Amino acid sequence: MNPYLAGFLLGLVLLAAFVFMGRGLGASGAFTTALSTGVHAVAPAHAEGNAFYAGYLGDGTTNPLKDWLVFEVLGVFAGGFLSGALANRLKVRIEKGPRISNPRRLVFAAIGGALMGIGAKLALGCTSGQALSGGALLNVGSWAFMLCVFGGAYGLAWFFRRAWL
Amino acid sequence: MIAPFYKYGMFGDEMSLVVAFVTGIAFGFVLERAGFGNARVLAAQFYFRELRVFKVMFTAIITAMLGVYFLGRFGVLDVSLIYLTPTFLGPQIIGGLILGAGFIIGGYCPGTSCVSAATGRVDGMVFLAGMMGGLVGFAEIYPYIETYTKLTSLGQVTLAGVFDISYGFLVFAVVLMAFVAFLAAEWAEKLIGHKLPGPGDLTEPVRKLTPVRGFAFGLTGLGVIALLAGSPYRTAFARIDTKQLALDAGSAAAGVEAAELADWIVQGRNDYLLIDVRDATAYAAYHIPGAMNVPLASLTPDLARRNERIVFYSDSEMQAAQAWFLLRSLGFPSAGMLAGGLDAWKDSVLYPLAPAEGSAPADQIAFAKRSAVAKFFGGAPRGAGSVSLETAAPALPQLKLPATTVAPDASRPVKKRKKEGC
Repeated sequence: MNPYLAGFLLGLVLLAAFVFMGRGLGASGAFTTALSTGVHAVAPAHAEGNAFYAGYLGDGTTNPLKDWLVFEVLGVFAGGFLSGALANRLKVRIEKGPRISNPRRLVFAAIGGALMGIGAKLALGCTSGQALSGGALLNVGSWAFMLCVFGGAYGLAWFFRRAWL
Repeated sequence: MIAPFYKYGMFGDEMSLVVAFVTGIAFGFVLERAGFGNARVLAAQFYFRELRVFKVMFTAIITAMLGVYFLGRFGVLDVSLIYLTPTFLGPQIIGGLILGAGFIIGGYCPGTSCVSAATGRVDGMVFLAGMMGGLVGFAEIYPYIETYTKLTSLGQVTLAGVFDISYGFLVFAVVLMAFVAFLAAEWAEKLIGHKLPGPGDLTEPVRKLTPVRGFAFGLTGLGVIALLAGSPYRTAFARIDTKQLALDAGSAAAGVEAAELADWIVQGRNDYLLIDVRDATAYAAYHIPGAMNVPLASLTPDLARRNERIVFYSDSEMQAAQAWFLLRSLGFPSAGMLAGGLDAWKDSVLYPLAPAEGSAPADQIAFAKRSAVAKFFGGAPRGAGSVSLETAAPALPQLKLPATTVAPDASRPVKKRKKEGC
């Protein structure tokens, strides 16, 4: 799809979220909620004693999984799957550059994911919740964050060129 | 002013989850169509080979930004009600750098990795697992770093607010910047990625107005209008829909019965603001537990968010009705008042009158409940049981107001707002 058209459609989805809910899109928060609920199920005392988990568990009156972001991310999985299925793009595979082995690529993916989790929590949002949603609202922190994401990635790109090129 | 729909109570929490799921489907669908399920497409961004990420993201940002601006400007959307993630500059800069590092090493961001995993990419699934690991790690060290994550707090601010420039100008500047950046991106793709501009590119080598160019000029045009059109926030000027106001005033729609309000307080509901519009002396002498004192003269539109449910009261309905009228005309659709004022509160909540002897059991039960409520508020039922109507009339107990037992601040439950950010 033409990137400008895709961007326009993405912008409309984001605008719809603003108009219907008064909030933007997100992704990382859903995983944190799921994780906090999981930890709470296994070790309730530990989860409640940790301010980070506790913040995602709510006041106990409702199930924390009945959360806007959790359902939105379930939708992202469904929508991605649907689009891939309709375009015949569903296939088990590993995306990588030609000069990197499969195990190495997967280790990199795991490390990248871990950094992403830490960065997103430190910044109170990821590319969806901060850069995209906050960017459209001209949020100060979101723009600072966005520049730093690009800065961090471009700054390290040279060192990881063997993974992609 | 009707949007954000959810915050104006047009649908509830259950429905919001349906909206969430549908929004998510659209989000995931577009991400997949944009090619963002593929880490190679995403990473190519950082080698200037293929700047899809940049183009998609900034087109989305300016589309939504212009949409928010114009809907706000036309009074359809209350921009101040859209959740702004608070700014903590330092943590967000460091978090951004870490996230950027994760992006180039892992190839995804959280949203795109979902799409990647959903379309069968093993690396996307491993990335998600790694992210869960990172979250656990962050959670476990959080107690030790919590204070540092709260440094350099600026609150919920927009660039317009912090640099003190007009919102419209900023919208224009961002649109213009994006337009120039798109041209630069295509130039970089050509120079470094050796990707010649083709159909659908802004710099496609044809001398005509392609759809993409039309779209770009359209957005830029809207940016110019934004530059001239002023602030998207609602002004304090009152816009009065007299017909609607008259209808509301005529019907009982705006009123809350004293008994109902008493139930809310007993139940500890916290989804409304109770406001005493009498002067401070009267408030100090007696007020309904949990009420805030905002004398009529000091009432401003900054009182509460526009979608907040507000209940005004005064001795009779007089002052409360004035407050109600003022706020309704300022665009607070959920403002209301205590029907009958404090007089009704005294009569029906603090000192409820016992039903006549031999009345229906249902009335007796209702009275027993009212008596319990009266005691809760420090009052007492009147004419308990034996007093017949004729003798009760002269011996009507003095309706003395009980001391407010609960301090207003302590009794006012802290709002448990659901967190809205990521």
